[in-house]
Amino acid sequence: MTRTTYLYENGVLVPRRKLLTSALAAGAGALLGFPAIATSNKSLKGVTLNTSLYSSPYSKLLRPWIAEFEEATGAKVNFDTPGFPVYNQRADLELSTKGSAFDAVNVTFIYSSRWINSGWLTPLDEYIADANKTPANYDVKDFLEGTLAPERGTDGKLYGIPWQAEVTIAAASRFDALKQAGFAFPQTTQELEQVSKALNRKEGAAGFVTDNHYGWTFVPFLHAFGGDVFRKAPNDLYPTLDTPEAIAAADYFARLLRDCGPDGVVSYNPDQALQSIKSGRSHLSVQGQINLSQLADKSSSKVANTAAWGLVPKGPAGRFPGTAIHGWGIPVGSKNKDAAWQFIRWATSKEILQRAVAAGYASPTRRSDIDSASYRDRQRANGFDIAALTIDSIALSAKQGHMKYRTVAAYPQVDQQLNKAIELIVTNQRTPEQAMKQAQAASIAELRRAGVTI
Amino acid sequence: MPPAALAAAATLPTSLHEQSPNPIHPRKSAAQPTTQPWQKESARSYGLGLAPALVVLGSITLLPLLTLITVSLTPLSLTNPEGTFHFNQPLGNYAQLLEDERFLHSLWVQFKLSTVGVLLQLLIGLGLALLLDTGSRVASGVRTLFLIPMVLPPIVVALIWKILYTPEISPMHALLEHWGLPVRSLIANPDTALWAIVAADVWQWFPFTMLMVLANLQMVPRDPLNAARIDGANRWQVFRYIVFPFLKRTLVVCALFRLIDSFKAFPLLYVLTNGGPGTVTEVTNFYGFIQAFNFSYWGYGSAIAVVMLAGIFVLCAVVSHLGRNAGARHAR
Repeated sequence: MTRTTYLYENGVLVPRRKLLTSALAAGAGALLGFPAIATSNKSLKGVTLNTSLYSSPYSKLLRPWIAEFEEATGAKVNFDTPGFPVYNQRADLELSTKGSAFDAVNVTFIYSSRWINSGWLTPLDEYIADANKTPANYDVKDFLEGTLAPERGTDGKLYGIPWQAEVTIAAASRFDALKQAGFAFPQTTQELEQVSKALNRKEGAAGFVTDNHYGWTFVPFLHAFGGDVFRKAPNDLYPTLDTPEAIAAADYFARLLRDCGPDGVVSYNPDQALQSIKSGRSHLSVQGQINLSQLADKSSSKVANTAAWGLVPKGPAGRFPGTAIHGWGIPVGSKNKDAAWQFIRWATSKEILQRAVAAGYASPTRRSDIDSASYRDRQRANGFDIAALTIDSIALSAKQGHMKYRTVAAYPQVDQQLNKAIELIVTNQRTPEQAMKQAQAASIAELRRAGVTI
Repeated sequence: MPPAALAAAATLPTSLHEQSPNPIHPRKSAAQPTTQPWQKESARSYGLGLAPALVVLGSITLLPLLTLITVSLTPLSLTNPEGTFHFNQPLGNYAQLLEDERFLHSLWVQFKLSTVGVLLQLLIGLGLALLLDTGSRVASGVRTLFLIPMVLPPIVVALIWKILYTPEISPMHALLEHWGLPVRSLIANPDTALWAIVAADVWQWFPFTMLMVLANLQMVPRDPLNAARIDGANRWQVFRYIVFPFLKRTLVVCALFRLIDSFKAFPLLYVLTNGGPGTVTEVTNFYGFIQAFNFSYWGYGSAIAVVMLAGIFVLCAVVSHLGRNAGARHAR
């Protein structure tokens, strides 16, 4: 009869044999460059994990590394990465049915409140607290608190591990052309319009471009003009789209697109808008930094040597960068939750995120990454510090709290009203006043229908 | 046969089977009419043979349809499934549809897209089929080329047209500009966006009509054609009075198929305009998609789908009726 000896690991009694096996597995993992996460080698043999994340620089970096996770754990990982809108529709449908098609999914910022508070995702606190499932070196406190906050439900529990902290910034593709024309990088909404108009159709490029998800790209301007989406999210959700400030913002933004945008700009999705500025077919843009930081990528950007970056322009009411946090979560219907957690832990581990940052990943969520020399060096281009812009934007957003509107469960409905309103104004189908009043009325109807008391 | 003889015949045995035990089914009563076992067996075999098809039809067609109708009678919203799966106001969604301006607008957009699209497909398909009906090798090769759009996956067709309609990268726009005929973006202009989608849809589907008409043209009887030519009928008269009446039914079938399919022009709308700019290209199924999948109002989205289904049935009935009348007149 063999006697089991127990030893302490992270304050927990663990059989000696298991501890030794774990140590060996961790050692083997380290040799393979795999983070020390598996409790035993091939512990997930026979498990197939279905994971889904929208197509992004992070998902592209992660894809080839997944083989290492599979090698170390024995799991097979199906990694699905459709485009952003397709992903959201698919995930929204799958989560709402509480199905088991996915084991780990992206918790999309715009849907986070709806998915979390509808009970469609699994709380992760128990996994994090369990030393057998999460070693201390995973260090969840290393994630910026501002990135963890949107992943919490109204019950205070954590439902997602953030992998992307996106902020809206401004960029110029041909800063040399701006300087030649006697302009500095535009800092205000007024300057942005002035420079966009002056450079429009110069050097074969449009003055300004952005993508047609206006519920994301227009709102920094709405805020800058003193407007807002709701009266005071998340407590008072009465829409405020027909205020004089909101109408003025819509008028300004639509004018910018109509007068200075490339032909057909209202049909531009994020990839098109990015390609337009990356190839020098547009001069200025306000988009997510995950996109605009790619202007510095010499292998794919025609304007890598002439690009410049800055904060979103300041309006009469101030500067209001948009922020969006995306995280990994486990659907409540998943049949492989423990394995899914292992995968998420691996995909958001210090080692993997550091490796991503070293490869040029621009939107880390861990403080250690943001502070690292590797990240700061990678994010410097043509004398501009994109990392500093990102950090400043996150700090500003946290301080002002202007992004609370975006995690309201019924925001997708209002988001669509904003999209339609801007399209109607840009294409001269409605005046700014008519379009915003229409959006206001439709938003009120939609919110009431969604059961929101206003 | 006189009535008396008929009555007498009815009382007499009519076959050997009624006089002797049934050799195939010995336990069956000899008094039964001879055809009954065979008929029963035949009906049983028919039923058994049909049963798998009926089961499949029931499970994959009727059950989902019943589910759709049932859900349309509820205010089901996936964000609150427990609270909303009830039938307190079974016609609530339908009543709301009548007051939903965006829905009513989507019906009008659908009507324009379907009628113009199908008419153009019929005209172009018919015209090209007549041109290609020569039997030459060249015509045969060209015919194959025309079939390419029809066999492409819809999403690929949508991407092709997205490139063509994006002035920054479009060879079509570059060429027009080179010729001094610059054209503004067609999909971002509310006056042209819907017609740009119709053009793409017609491009993909006119070959269907062309193919059907070509096949039908091969079967046009030669005698009346020759007779008309001998009588001095010109080409138009031959087409108008002999060929076209012969093609009418085929054209009605094509119209029917294309009409049904025109309600499913989803990938083009999704990729090219996303229902915009504004709502100018938002057809009914796209609006239903937004309600169901963007907002999770499944009850409401299902009601939209049921209305569409009913509309398609009505349209099919109308087109079939027209086709029957055309056929009947032709027969007379």
